[in-house]
Amino acid sequence: MTSSNTNAPKIRRRRRSFSHGARIAGAIFVSLLFLFPVFWMILTSFKTQVDIFTTPPKLFFEATTATYVEYFSRADIPQRLLNTVIVATGAGILSIVVGTLSGYALARIRLRGAATFGVLILMSRGVPPIALAVPMFLVARNMGLTDKHITLILAYCTFLIPYVMWLMRSFFVSLPKELEESAMIDGCSRFGAFFKIIVPISMPGILSTLIFSIILAWEELLFALVLTSRDAVTIPVAIAGIAGDTETGANWAALTAVGTVTVIPVVIFALLVQKWLIQGLADGATKG
Amino acid sequence: MSKDTSKAPRRGRTQWGDLAVRWSFMLPTIVLLILVLAYPIWYTIEISFSSFDMMTFGAGEWVGWENYAWVVDDYRFWESLWVTLVYLIWALPIQIILGFGIAYMINAPWRGRGLLRALFIIPMVVAPVVAGGIWRMLLDPIWGVINWVFGLVGLGPFDWFGDPNLAMATIVIIDTWRWTPFIVLIATAALLALPRDVFEAAKIDGAGRWATLWSVALPLLAPVIAATFVIRWLGAVKMFDIVLASTLGGPGKSTSVINLFIYEEAFRSLNFAESAAMAMIVLVLTMLLTGVFLIGSRKLETMH
Repeated sequence: MTSSNTNAPKIRRRRRSFSHGARIAGAIFVSLLFLFPVFWMILTSFKTQVDIFTTPPKLFFEATTATYVEYFSRADIPQRLLNTVIVATGAGILSIVVGTLSGYALARIRLRGAATFGVLILMSRGVPPIALAVPMFLVARNMGLTDKHITLILAYCTFLIPYVMWLMRSFFVSLPKELEESAMIDGCSRFGAFFKIIVPISMPGILSTLIFSIILAWEELLFALVLTSRDAVTIPVAIAGIAGDTETGANWAALTAVGTVTVIPVVIFALLVQKWLIQGLADGATKG
Repeated sequence: MSKDTSKAPRRGRTQWGDLAVRWSFMLPTIVLLILVLAYPIWYTIEISFSSFDMMTFGAGEWVGWENYAWVVDDYRFWESLWVTLVYLIWALPIQIILGFGIAYMINAPWRGRGLLRALFIIPMVVAPVVAGGIWRMLLDPIWGVINWVFGLVGLGPFDWFGDPNLAMATIVIIDTWRWTPFIVLIATAALLALPRDVFEAAKIDGAGRWATLWSVALPLLAPVIAATFVIRWLGAVKMFDIVLASTLGGPGKSTSVINLFIYEEAFRSLNFAESAAMAMIVLVLTMLLTGVFLIGSRKLETMH
């Protein structure tokens, strides 16, 4: 692109660079527009009630951490944050272990009937979660399993395992076949070749997929709403409660403070693995 | 399965062990998903054909299609299917057009390109329930910053949550904010993968901007657009969190998408049998439409 630019006659180059500049300006403007809600959330979380409810909206104000102190010294919010961490990492780790194994099986192992299971599992993406939430609630209630971390972890497997399996499958397909073939000629068992050769090589992919899985579980609302009531309540449920609490009026300070704490760690993790995320998305759309 | 057992002895006894090793890669997934996915679906089917027994809190006696008949007669069910359809018809095209448009702008080669692309990940990972909550604050008719900006140019104030049509627009706006970045990221990769020489050739042939876009870029992008549409459709039919946190289905039932309606029928009104029947109808509808879309996108792929 740049080389053809320098070779082009001067007048054309100037016209090009004008539309080029407009494109860049547009790109920056749109990016800022998309970031604004998050920016405003963080800003509002440091405002006092008086500064929140005022027109014109205040961009500059005396920052206070009072909302954070109030909400995170109460017993329920830290407990819910902890629940979310337990459930999200638990579900993420369980799904990555199970889904990496089956993703590898679909990519590399000749298995009669396995492809059928693969397609069935892929089809499960069309199942509305509410069709699972109703029976899960009834079964969990009759078995005394409601309001437990393990119940939510298992419920999250319904969407995480298919996700991990298909992402890891396309990752393993892209690896050269000679890797484990040579290892197995050298006397490695199938498991040996998988755990000693394939897993270490795939670590970046596995870790990124784990992080996405944790993010997906971290934000889940419906199952958490249905399957928890007191002890295992997660942060999205708490936020839905704050947002839906219209009796005391809009508690924007609480909403933004808890929202900020929920979003910031996820954003950091997502930015850490963004290269892989974009690659995975692109592959999913073009090859899937 | 039975074929395997008849064939295995011919290959010698060691093959049995190998077969077990092969299947053990697949087995944990199969067992877990039968437990948490297949069994619940089966149970939903069972409840949908039964009366709900409040004593055992489970499926009671078999009633045949009674629950389905009740659901089909319920105008609220059709109303919320309609609401879902309206949301899908607005949200999906807007998001795909915006996504590819923004991707084109973002792909302008300059130093900050990678940074902008990374920043677009942020809305994508904001929990939908948080997204719903913060947009409710941004769009507040009295204190919201967006109505204030509109006020500066003499528009509004808009009652984003009080007017049924505006409430639907609100849902589409929030959903678009949350999901367009996802399409932007797919589209940036797809645009970068376009073959340069075809565009050079179009330019040499004297094709204008719109002609190039219409008859060169769009046909080349059609498979990716179709795939993006299918992925986005599968996410959008599950719409629940954003509505719950922003409009709560209101005003009236104007934004009560089907998942919210079934949720409320089941867990607020405790009509579990009817909810199960509705969930099954939605499941079948989703599967059918997904099948149609997949066949359509395959056709697009083979056309070019």
